[in-house]
Amino acid sequence: MTTLVPLGAFIALSAALFFIGMAGVLVRRNAIVILMCVELMLNATNLAFVAFSRRLGLLDERGSVFVVFVFVVAAAEVAVGLAIVLAAYRNRPTVDVDEVTEMKG
Amino acid sequence: MSLDLIEPILFGLLALAIVGAGLGVVLAGRITTSALLMAFTFLNMAGMFVLLGAETIAAFQILIYVGAITVLILYGVMFTPQGPRAYGLFFQKQTTVGAVIAALAALPVMAVAFAFRDAGNVPPRGGDLVPLASSIFTDFAFPFEAASVLLLAAMIGAIVLVKRE
Repeated sequence: MTTLVPLGAFIALSAALFFIGMAGVLVRRNAIVILMCVELMLNATNLAFVAFSRRLGLLDERGSVFVVFVFVVAAAEVAVGLAIVLAAYRNRPTVDVDEVTEMKG
Repeated sequence: MSLDLIEPILFGLLALAIVGAGLGVVLAGRITTSALLMAFTFLNMAGMFVLLGAETIAAFQILIYVGAITVLILYGVMFTPQGPRAYGLFFQKQTTVGAVIAALAALPVMAVAFAFRDAGNVPPRGGDLVPLASSIFTDFAFPFEAASVLLLAAMIGAIVLVKRE
């Protein structure tokens, strides 16, 4: 089995995508774009899980099992997140997270 | 010999597409562009999983992320009007601080990331479906059931949140 691409390259790509998503969460103010960026971060962690699972020489697929659970949590998160965005939009017609300030102390 | 170079070339192309499309999600002005670029990122990530030999995960990736989550996000885009402020990306007060924090956090992690080395004696193996399934239904049977409860709770919660009186 040729492994010309080192494990570090996969982990670096995963980290790069994770921080792209993090920058998006911090910079963008549209609630739906923020949800998309959270999905990017979750998917970046999936790449790290799979890379470690396949390349660190363990016999089982525990990393891939965690990826399945991340899929479940991501699906639940985006469903509930969009429901919250739509419910907040019904109270106040905006999807800008800076303008939804009802719960600010 | 030239066959051996396929893996690095594929990795390079997929990595370029993932990083490029990921940056596009953050930087694109139109929210629909962001959503479709996100789907493109997920598709390339599925290719990366195939490159790692995790075909089952790649299939799940396409079914759940490219299929379900992108459609869900596009529905969210359609149900909410997208005002002109979606375009005013770089003129908001938290932009600089947020970008600086993300970059500062990224630098040490990226420095550590390249240091990971492959284990020397990884045994060759076939597809990942059988070990994945046997792990889920033996060692991880309880988390598997808990995940189904989580999905049920999320479904009921989403319905209750958007239900009209």
